[in-house]
Amino acid sequence: MQIPPCMAVLDSTARQAIRDILMRARNVGAVNKPDLRAAIDATDAWIDSNAASYNTALPEPFKSTATAQEKTILFCFVALKRAGILPDQGV
Amino acid sequence: MATTRAVLTPESAHFPASNFAGFTTVNGRPALAFDAATDETAYWTLAAPQGLAGALSLVVSFIMASATTGSVRFQAAVEAVTAADATDLDAGTSFDAANSAGGTVPGTAGYLQQVTITLTNADSIAAGDYVRIALNRDADGTSGTDDATGDCYVLAVELREA
Repeated sequence: MQIPPCMAVLDSTARQAIRDILMRARNVGAVNKPDLRAAIDATDAWIDSNAASYNTALPEPFKSTATAQEKTILFCFVALKRAGILPDQGV
Repeated sequence: MATTRAVLTPESAHFPASNFAGFTTVNGRPALAFDAATDETAYWTLAAPQGLAGALSLVVSFIMASATTGSVRFQAAVEAVTAADATDLDAGTSFDAANSAGGTVPGTAGYLQQVTITLTNADSIAAGDYVRIALNRDADGTSGTDDATGDCYVLAVELREA
């Protein structure tokens, strides 16, 4: 059975939850709520569209042994570190 | 000329058990933080001043935590109880229908803006009544557009008579 590279695309409720969390956690004041939601939708869609490409880029043995969730978390941790908000000791 | 009938401050507010505006200070200024995603409420209690006769409005002074675009929407409701009214105050509430108004946020976060809510539904308020005023940010936009992100800090509220 082929392991899916990422978890399933988010539904509207989940995307709305991201919007709410993001507004509370970060300064996103330069855009309004609908614009922020549109960016979340686009990001989730991009992840879904590029999931296979990301999986292809992963090296073995990680690609074959990691779960979809583990691969997604890896992506997130790398992105958070690049954004400067992941502490050295992790979360 | 309009008359200020009451000044409602963050420090004098009280709150429901859940979904309440958070009391905070912003640059040393007391403020009530209204969330952008969930409707949150604050209450004020007062005795309706003598001489009340004209149309009432609520002038809400606020700043935004981070938003520099979009609008905020507020709702205000009045509960006015006269002595001997058939209202069981230890068992329920008796607010009139909500009044609402909105305004565009300033282009710079931290700049003051005011929204005036006309209290068309004022629960037949009369001088001497026991009164509660409920103020909430209509974050989910049921009464109008609220699309500014981040907290809205209410710094002061004026009960104004026309």
